[in-house]
Amino acid sequence: MNLSIYSDDKTWLHSLDPRTKLFGTTIVFIVCLCFNHPLHTGAIALCMFALVLSAGAQKAIWKLRYIILMLFLFSAMLWPFFTSGKTIVWTWKSLKLTRESILYGLAMGFRLSTFVITGLILMATTKNEEITDGLIKMKIPYPLAFAFSTALRLVPTFVKVGATIVQAQVSRGLDLESRNIISRFGKFIPLAVPMFISAIRYTNLLAMALESRGFSPDMQRTFFYEPTMTKRDWIILSFLAALLFISLYMRIILNMGVVMPGRI
Amino acid sequence: MDIVVSIKSLVFTYQNAKEPSIRGINGEIGDGEFLMIMGHGGAGKSTLCCAMNGIVPRFYNGEYSGNVFIAGKQTTQYNPSDMAKRVGLVLQDFEAQLFSTNVELEIAFGLENIGLPSVEINRRIDRYLDLIGLNGMRKVDIYTLSGGQKQRLAIGSVIAMEPNVVVMDEPTTDLDPVGRQGVLSLAGLLRDGKRTLVMVDNEPDAAVGADKLWLMKDGEMIAQGVPGDYLKDEKLLVSCGVMPLQTISLFRRMNWQGDPLTVEAALELIQKNNLVQYRDRIIWTDSNVFSGNNFIIEAKDLSYRYPGASQDVLKDINFGIKRGEFVAILGQNGSGKTTLAKHFNRLLKPTSGELLVNGKQTTQYRQNELARLIGYVFQNPDNQIFASTVKEEVGFGLKVLGENAKVIEKNVAEALAVTGLEGYENMSPFVLSKGVRQRVAVASVLSVKPEAIILDEPTTGLDYQHQRGSLDMLKRLNKKGHTVVIITHSMWIAEEYADRCIVMKDGEIISDGKTRAVFADEDRLVRASLVPSPIVRLSNRLGTKAMNVDDMVKELSDESIHLQ
Repeated sequence: MNLSIYSDDKTWLHSLDPRTKLFGTTIVFIVCLCFNHPLHTGAIALCMFALVLSAGAQKAIWKLRYIILMLFLFSAMLWPFFTSGKTIVWTWKSLKLTRESILYGLAMGFRLSTFVITGLILMATTKNEEITDGLIKMKIPYPLAFAFSTALRLVPTFVKVGATIVQAQVSRGLDLESRNIISRFGKFIPLAVPMFISAIRYTNLLAMALESRGFSPDMQRTFFYEPTMTKRDWIILSFLAALLFISLYMRIILNMGVVMPGRI
Repeated sequence: MDIVVSIKSLVFTYQNAKEPSIRGINGEIGDGEFLMIMGHGGAGKSTLCCAMNGIVPRFYNGEYSGNVFIAGKQTTQYNPSDMAKRVGLVLQDFEAQLFSTNVELEIAFGLENIGLPSVEINRRIDRYLDLIGLNGMRKVDIYTLSGGQKQRLAIGSVIAMEPNVVVMDEPTTDLDPVGRQGVLSLAGLLRDGKRTLVMVDNEPDAAVGADKLWLMKDGEMIAQGVPGDYLKDEKLLVSCGVMPLQTISLFRRMNWQGDPLTVEAALELIQKNNLVQYRDRIIWTDSNVFSGNNFIIEAKDLSYRYPGASQDVLKDINFGIKRGEFVAILGQNGSGKTTLAKHFNRLLKPTSGELLVNGKQTTQYRQNELARLIGYVFQNPDNQIFASTVKEEVGFGLKVLGENAKVIEKNVAEALAVTGLEGYENMSPFVLSKGVRQRVAVASVLSVKPEAIILDEPTTGLDYQHQRGSLDMLKRLNKKGHTVVIITHSMWIAEEYADRCIVMKDGEIISDGKTRAVFADEDRLVRASLVPSPIVRLSNRLGTKAMNVDDMVKELSDESIHLQ
């Protein structure tokens, strides 16, 4: 099963400079944090969804649909119990639900899903190497940039190894279906130990492979895909900067898009 | 001839190891030579490879003495990126060596590191993709490549840096026969291109085309010279954990003159000296039908599709495995062998159709009931070993199935005895060699006493003696009544041990029958990227029944007695 997120395509998002996309992702994150009204965060989520379609990233979203759905449901259901507002809708003993807290929960659900979706758009349209190159061009030290993109790349690898280990132990009779929490804890070691061993072995091999390809952290390297900022990149960046400015202005000066004033 | 690699009294002891891994190694490799290194598991081949590109001692701590010179300069004086321009290293595990998004970026990575301009990088990508036979695949996602293509790409990404010497450490171990041929013929191309090549491989046919052969044993160099001189010496090869050439073994046992290193050479000698009476080629009836209903595992119209995928990886599979059979599942990398086997104990559930164990659908069993019926040993023992002693590891299955201490003790002792692990009870499995860890994994599945035992690539990474050891053990279990199913790339193992072979290609069964019949149809096997071993190819051409040297000798000797 292919777990990688990148989709080889030629949409306008694919052809943007990785720096634009990295900055863009950060700006979307900040804009998300500006509002806690579900109409506003919902609108942002909707915009990002449109972007998914235009970037051809549906496959990546589909792969992680359960995670996105769970994040949304959990925050929409749990936040209302941990925040308090003025307009009480329902009470039972010490529990109470308010209109504001319910709206806040929904807003948080939209916000978290938007985070994941935005990250997925970045990864579906940007090759790992482009992320490295982009980070280096942004003056991030090479070892850090490389470590960051390698960590992203290793996620699917380790998910695959993890799945194999679970299957190997289930084959020997390890019962992961039982519900007992205490006995579940005892089942952790047969999975964790091989996981650590595999991870160490794999990173060791990877390090050897990197060395034999001439990788060393302090070297001068060249770029096969030289990232270049085009006019379109600058237009998009200016647009995003304006968006950021407007959002901050709306929140801080006009106090718009807020159901719970004291909270992010 | 200029000397490119020169090794002088090299000794290396890994940190915390009692004995040196390699000792007193001397040797020289000339410019443009193709050197083959062979030896048993733990003989020090990999350590020697790593010493050639300086990973030993730069990467591994330990005691290092002696010198390795590459183009006249000591390896310890190079920094990694300079070294990469001199010596390229290809490892056995191709998955860990490929880390880029697509084919061209994989090649480009090393070239960026040594600071080439992108125009030159582009030129080299073209040139080397052409050489490794992946032209036109620049933008292809590495994940979608076959095993053989991946390993060729790993080699390409190293040779694109145009090092003086290319070192390959068991590059073909994980590949199907045709993928392996691809890598070996690439080695031939490199040699014709006057590039110095060092390869570790434990199958003797790979050494036939080499200029020089080094044989290693227990960290020492046993022999250095022309391959033909040593490949003739069965005893020497076996003592170094290398399988002898079957053609040589046959000629020795039959007291025939000559040392044929290949099937073609053997046939020529046989014809020239009139050694075998001409006979008609046997037409093997491909008995696809396995009648009866005593099936332990049976698939009916089984299809499987990974969630979210657009294509079936198993298509309409039908077969039944009878109690007590020894079955080999063969096919190229990615043909669906493992996916199929994972249905046997319900690690996967059919998308459509059904899989029956003892006549009942796997979905109707509880997982721990199935664990008692079907044992499954994964390819890599490290995916399951976790306990601090061998005893605990082997008893784990019984413990989680809720057996009492007495039964556990008894079954563990039996499983250790049958796998030859007595005396290892209180050792930590992590300090054992790969071959022994593989046996621990088998023992841990056997202790539950499953009716059938499935093994995915049980011999990968083992040397000849350990391969034989494991298979003899499986044969004993089979004789005791266990059904055995192995997935393997090793043709001689299927030929010698399996009663029946199931050949898969692209998720379908293309051949299923008695092993002899399946191996008689070489054209069909090639379609599944399989090539029979030399003795069977010879047997097919001579019209004999035998599938291994012993039987062949018997068959041909009976005939000569008959003639007299």
